[in-house]
Amino acid sequence: MQSFFHKHYKTPTWLKEKPWFNANSSRRNFLKSAAGAVAIAATPLPLLAESLSKSLDKPLTKPLTKEIQWQTESIWQTLNAVLNHLLPVSATGPSATDIQALQYLHNVVTQQPTSEAEVTFIKKGVGWLNGYSQSQLNKLFIDLNFDQKEMILRGISKSQAGENWISTLLSYIFEAMLTPAIYGGNPNHIGEKWLNHQAGFPLPAAGTRYYELPGAYRISDKITPQDIKSSDIIPTKVIKVKRNSKA
Amino acid sequence: MSYDICIIGSGAGASPVAYTLSNAGAKVLVLEKGPWLTENEFYKDELAISLRDAYNPNLNDEQHVIEDQYENDNGDLFWQGEATSESGSTFWNGTVVGGSSNFMSGYFHRLKPVDFRLKSEFGAIDGANVADWPISYNDLEPYYAMVDKHVGVSGKHVEHPFAEPHSTDFDYPPLVEHPVAEWIDKTATKLGVHSIPIPRAVLSQPAMGRRSCEYSGYCSNYGCSSGAKGSGRAALLNHAVAGGNCTIKPESKVYKIETDNQGKISGVLYYDRQNRKHKVTAKYYVVACQAIETSRLLLTSKGVKFPNGLANNSGQVGKNLIFSAGGTGKGDFVFDQMSKQQVDELTRVGPFLNRSLQDWYQINDKAFNNDTSNAKAKGGTIDFLFYQNPVSRAYGTQRDDEGGLVWGEQLKLNLKKEFTTYKTLRFEVFNDWLPTDDCFVTLDDKITDKWGDPVAKVRIGFHPHDLKVGEYIATKGEEFLTAMGATNVSSGVSGSPPPNLQAGGCRFGNDPKTSVLNKYCQAHEVDNLFVTDGSFMPTGGSVPYTYTIYANAFRVGEYIKQRWQDNR
Repeated sequence: MQSFFHKHYKTPTWLKEKPWFNANSSRRNFLKSAAGAVAIAATPLPLLAESLSKSLDKPLTKPLTKEIQWQTESIWQTLNAVLNHLLPVSATGPSATDIQALQYLHNVVTQQPTSEAEVTFIKKGVGWLNGYSQSQLNKLFIDLNFDQKEMILRGISKSQAGENWISTLLSYIFEAMLTPAIYGGNPNHIGEKWLNHQAGFPLPAAGTRYYELPGAYRISDKITPQDIKSSDIIPTKVIKVKRNSKA
Repeated sequence: MSYDICIIGSGAGASPVAYTLSNAGAKVLVLEKGPWLTENEFYKDELAISLRDAYNPNLNDEQHVIEDQYENDNGDLFWQGEATSESGSTFWNGTVVGGSSNFMSGYFHRLKPVDFRLKSEFGAIDGANVADWPISYNDLEPYYAMVDKHVGVSGKHVEHPFAEPHSTDFDYPPLVEHPVAEWIDKTATKLGVHSIPIPRAVLSQPAMGRRSCEYSGYCSNYGCSSGAKGSGRAALLNHAVAGGNCTIKPESKVYKIETDNQGKISGVLYYDRQNRKHKVTAKYYVVACQAIETSRLLLTSKGVKFPNGLANNSGQVGKNLIFSAGGTGKGDFVFDQMSKQQVDELTRVGPFLNRSLQDWYQINDKAFNNDTSNAKAKGGTIDFLFYQNPVSRAYGTQRDDEGGLVWGEQLKLNLKKEFTTYKTLRFEVFNDWLPTDDCFVTLDDKITDKWGDPVAKVRIGFHPHDLKVGEYIATKGEEFLTAMGATNVSSGVSGSPPPNLQAGGCRFGNDPKTSVLNKYCQAHEVDNLFVTDGSFMPTGGSVPYTYTIYANAFRVGEYIKQRWQDNR
């Protein structure tokens, strides 16, 4: 599979099992058109090093076994640009940068026991996004202006895989906004304060995140035959830009 | 080492037995599949409790097969199983020491006297295997009182048309109440119904070495970090272990109860954390793994005298599984239609809402049955509640009314509107899940757990009568919310079972041909085998089960203690 628009793509089982997927499944018959974008000033793209430095300041109690796969700077830059387009800077509330969505996503893919299938999907999606962006505007996503980014994201959202990819990132924006700060997002309860939501207590600290609790070895991230179905398999070859990929 | 009592499981059905017997001096062993967590490992962390389900097994390692009914193009009905690793719908409810009682809301309603004689009171229902209990409310009442004292129930007994008799009032005063409880009280008075304070298994005062509730506002299904919630671990097992006679072996997965050629239990076989096999023996064996897993263990434990599973020559093990029928409803209170004081009261976080309605616990309404032949029916309970989990709430903001994805400024507006312009008051309906031939546990012949043992296959058929009752009560709930001034009022009743409210499968009774256990929850066929979780219940009543499971386990624990003392 080389783009969001592969005709044989089917929503994989691991994604169907997400709580947000079921929460929205009854309303997922329609796909919104690309029209009606709201004009918001584009977010200046922070440097990757700056962006990740906060999360890496936090103690890491688990070896970053997946870290090597995620060193490619362009992947993080692109994800940061997407997250800040989905939750932009504006007077109405915090942006993805403000809630440290990228740092939270870093925790998701490097420390939380997220399945390899999902991590691969997020990563591949960056490639497919840039492939589509190249095919439509001959630029990488991070080089686009606000309106162009909107057009590209609306475009991929017309495919099932593209919608799933954006929806996955939106779910992690919500988690970054409203989960305990020890997971990387929601600094100083910024998301909860904005939404007038009072967090519970006590909250977990380093060493007591859910994947660090006694018995958490049961939250396995190993790949078993039941983790990946034949319909889920995504080729792992290097992504190539295909200019003629269209919805 | 051989023990006096070996208990498999550590939740509400197991912990009272361990507590009672170890206090009497018996050497008790508790084998629990999950880890031994304490107050130090429970946080108000939505990721842990619901989004990632951190206190339960990975479904690729341990799962169930759920059989639901489908209809083909010809209109033919058929049953089809689906592994929970495929559906993602877990049937685990807390795999840790103390079991699911760590994660209960602790709404402690007692059964009513009529619940013990459902068939006699309301008659047989076609397609349902309703049976009276072999004991009465009076037999169980002293043990409810024992739960009030030792588990710690906070509340206030009030009289109402269907109130059950209490020999004592609750040992702990009610928890601090949310201002909206008073709104409910006023509406109830206006409507001529009875607003009942819900007793909660949460300490309102420090006691028994446990702290009182700290009012984080997140109680519900979150593990308790103060020890106030009366889990089997915090309330009973900690004391049992401290007394020196109770040993808990966590991460010990029992896979078979072994019997000899005479049909006597020769030991319990289990895997430890390193998957090494062990065997342990005792004078008495108690199974309390929650209903589905208890039936699974007995069915797996075949022997020369029990070719169909332990205590199953009657073929009754796994049959007549029940859940709690009913549904949920909700209504919104919109801030810009309210005074500032009302908004302040509505949005307060911490105190407990703790209100229920039981005016329709028995239905005597000709409108219920369109004909006039039998207006009388068993009804149920309405419990009111608020819902906290913010991430789950946010999920609903990512789509517009047409189902399209939303992001950017519109997403921010959706989030702001969702969280700051209204609050939803919810209710849950509890009514009897009638036992039928379409709801039972067997062993799956294809799927095994990570140790290679067959998993439980659960058929989850429901009786249409359950929906009829649920809808009747949900309508009453909707009318109540509307009278309170709520908007967008709605409810939903379905035959989909709540996995955390399971019982039956080893029903107790006086006839060995139609029941697995006698009235002491002792296997008809195996003298030293007892089942003390919710499996014993022939019918479940119209309230959550945990209070009754605790009380019955105290009752059975006293019986085992007497036998153990007599035979020492």
